[in-house]
Amino acid sequence: MKTRQWIESVLSLPSFGWLVLFFAVPTVLVFALSFKSAEYGGTLGTGWTLEAWRHLANPAYPPIIWRTVWLSLACTALCLLFGVPVAYWIARLDPRWRHRVLLLVILPFWTNFLIRIFAWRTLLHPDGHLKNLLVHFGWAEPNTQLLYNNGAILLVLFYTYLPFAILPIYAAAEKFDFTLLDAARDLGATKWEAFRKVFLPGVRIGMLTAVLIVFIPALGSYAIPAVVGGPSSEMIGSKIVQRATLDRNIPHAAALGAFLTLVIFIPLGIAAFLRWRDRRVTRRSHGLTPGVTP
Amino acid sequence: MGAFIELQNITKRFGDATVVDDISLTLNKGEVFSLLGPSGSGKTTLLRILAGFIAPDAGRVLVNGEDITAMPPNQRPVNTVFQNYALFPHLTIRENIGFGLSVAKTPIDRVAEKVDEMLELVQMQEHAHKRPAQISGGQKQRVAIARALINKPQLLLLDEPLAALDLKLRQRLLIELEKIHAEVGGTFLYVTHDQGEAMSLGDRIAVMHEGGFCQIGQPAEVYEAPQTRFVAEFVGDTNLIDATCVEVENERNLGLSTTELGHIEHDLDSSRRAGGVFLANKAINLQPGDKAVLSLRPERLALRREPPPFAEEQNTVRGVIEDLSYQGSQTYYHVRVGERLLAVSKQHRRFLPHYTPISMHEDVWLSWFSNDGHLIITSRDQS
Amino acid sequence: MLVLGFFYLPIAMLFAQSFNAAKFGGQWTGFSLRWYDELWRREDIHQAAWNTLLIATISTTASVVLGVLAAWCIHRFRTRAQRIHYGLVYAPLVVPDILMGLSLLFLFINIGLSLSLTTIIIAHTTFCMSYVALVMLGRLQDFDESMIEAARDLGANWPTIIRRILLPLLGPGLAAGALLAFTLSIDDFVITFLVSGPGNTTLPVQIFSMMRRSSPQVINALSVIFMTVTFILVILSQRLTRPQS
Repeated sequence: MKTRQWIESVLSLPSFGWLVLFFAVPTVLVFALSFKSAEYGGTLGTGWTLEAWRHLANPAYPPIIWRTVWLSLACTALCLLFGVPVAYWIARLDPRWRHRVLLLVILPFWTNFLIRIFAWRTLLHPDGHLKNLLVHFGWAEPNTQLLYNNGAILLVLFYTYLPFAILPIYAAAEKFDFTLLDAARDLGATKWEAFRKVFLPGVRIGMLTAVLIVFIPALGSYAIPAVVGGPSSEMIGSKIVQRATLDRNIPHAAALGAFLTLVIFIPLGIAAFLRWRDRRVTRRSHGLTPGVTP
Repeated sequence: MGAFIELQNITKRFGDATVVDDISLTLNKGEVFSLLGPSGSGKTTLLRILAGFIAPDAGRVLVNGEDITAMPPNQRPVNTVFQNYALFPHLTIRENIGFGLSVAKTPIDRVAEKVDEMLELVQMQEHAHKRPAQISGGQKQRVAIARALINKPQLLLLDEPLAALDLKLRQRLLIELEKIHAEVGGTFLYVTHDQGEAMSLGDRIAVMHEGGFCQIGQPAEVYEAPQTRFVAEFVGDTNLIDATCVEVENERNLGLSTTELGHIEHDLDSSRRAGGVFLANKAINLQPGDKAVLSLRPERLALRREPPPFAEEQNTVRGVIEDLSYQGSQTYYHVRVGERLLAVSKQHRRFLPHYTPISMHEDVWLSWFSNDGHLIITSRDQS
Repeated sequence: MLVLGFFYLPIAMLFAQSFNAAKFGGQWTGFSLRWYDELWRREDIHQAAWNTLLIATISTTASVVLGVLAAWCIHRFRTRAQRIHYGLVYAPLVVPDILMGLSLLFLFINIGLSLSLTTIIIAHTTFCMSYVALVMLGRLQDFDESMIEAARDLGANWPTIIRRILLPLLGPGLAAGALLAFTLSIDDFVITFLVSGPGNTTLPVQIFSMMRRSSPQVINALSVIFMTVTFILVILSQRLTRPQS
């Protein structure tokens, strides 16, 4: 028993130590630094202060925070709206085709994500093909601005994260027993009712994963607003980078980072709660809710 | 091939639970020994101690007198047939069977020769180049047996090898296992929770319960003369009736009274006696006042519409059929007798002309002879 | 189908544009390889590409070693310490890149480590090892432990078990994890951007700065090459992860 513990410690130490040093400690550091004051030239003042946190109430910030949250929420909603039908469609395909289609869905998200953003900028560019096409059909005025606004950010966010939403929902749908839909129809449900009351609850966990996988990184977006957004569509990420690298105001960057961490922990807490409740319900009903994997 | 195996006072605890409790056992050379017990009885732990995957907290394991308790599994002259087969998925059937020899650095042609022998033994020649995923469960089990036997182990451990297979296949593989044992010899330890497998394969059986042995003996002994209430219930179906010895009738019979069966009659000395006493064979020595349990197997009870004719040393009770299930070769009845529901099985022989089978709610007579039941003593009278 | 079209439209567009002779993307002025030619002559891009590969190779190696050890420990020893270990492995996947980059940047500043290729490698190793560990953990969960027991029972010692059982059975998972780590390292932008010092750019960082400055057509050509390399890697890893039949 003693040797086993010894072996465990020795084998765990490298990865455990690495993650503590380069993940846990830096995360705590962000919170700690947010209570420091900034001196001119990027150095830190001595002592502790709430100055950086108070600065978050600066009239410039609330619109940025609000924009970040609503863009991320809208992107998550869009991803679910499109992700669920696509996942359903793939799961119902013939197994031979399923893997190929899945690969097709995955492939674009393996291209570098900057390249994808850049591709959209080219498309949406005032002189780009899409604009020309829209103007040609009379759907847009020649001076309509497609790029450098919130709409462009939302579109590219949606484009970037849709595959991430499809995958977990598909993983849940693949395990879903589709004869349950037939059973629901047999018992008098319409197609839509069967989909809504049987399929959606069946892939609930997949949808929850999709929400987290889209919402959290969307909150931290930096490159997308930087490339397709305008000066009036900054997100929290843009401000963090600006404070950390251009202004060299470390406490302000840290406060923003700490704030973002808190914003993320709220949905995570909700998700953990839902999962906990879900597991309890599943346990209580003794497997009477099929298709739900804890 | 095969060895004389000794377990001496083996004990194993996991946390607070004593899973194997001071067990000693001797396996004879060339014997098939069945270890029978419900899940959680400690039989798998005992097997893993023998294989070397678990070290006992106390006790020793000896093979031909040599202490192997501290020997790692890869050096032990013991091989295992795993419950889930544990075939290597990336190797062919040939390579799986030859694995033990090839890790022992045996020359290639020698390995090939031995593998061929084993393939023939388990009749898997035509599947030699397939992979485990391409063969059926029964075939996998044969390969697992061949793989474990190729090293000519002093002791072969079989861990519920047939549990994952269906009934028909299980019966066939049991017969094959017997053939294989007859051919290769060797000492086999067969672990199972299925009493049918344990009895048909084992020269001897040990019934295990809560980390200890309840009884060790030949199959018929264990079935016919269980030494504890647990053995009687676990090995086969039985009716257990609590009773108290009231008198020693004669040199062969005891009289016992029970409140569970209502009115009982017994036949002795050319007379049928009414009352609450039944006769039981004096196989164990009971004195008036001692308490015992009567184990009465369903197939030992005679079921009739009419009262049974007089016969010496016969017990008779009356009852009503409360439940029946027709099972082809036999019918299984639940008969309400006094406070009890007794299980009775009736073999279907040739039906007499105009015979109608006994059906639900009929009033019936049940009878058994004094040597049909088996008494298990529960407590001696202290007064 | 519409969704697939939506996925591929921008990429197809980029592909076509990279062969467009025009200086701006508005109209098609004929097929040309001039942007590829220009790419060929850009020393800074070569340097960035070299950096990218170097960083990816070193951090993949490091993260495979650390990740496999982590997965093995978490799987093998189910102690409370390993639950914390698992949390530590999992957390970097949940935290947005920007926060990870920011916190590492602060760490490097505080311990006085100047930003260089080393800091990028440390950062990449940190997030790559989590992915490798999770891929391996999945493989280990599917792995039948009785394989090891069966091999031991048949007389194999640990070196033999590793060589003849573990490597053949877990090797594809290992390779898939390594490829994933490699691709993630090549692809990462935000974290690299925050922890890279002057003169130590990788391709994504280079692309970003080029996007903000000028020469969009060169980016097209670069993107096509970059994309092709990634696709080859992905298809390779797909081959490896496909279950053996």
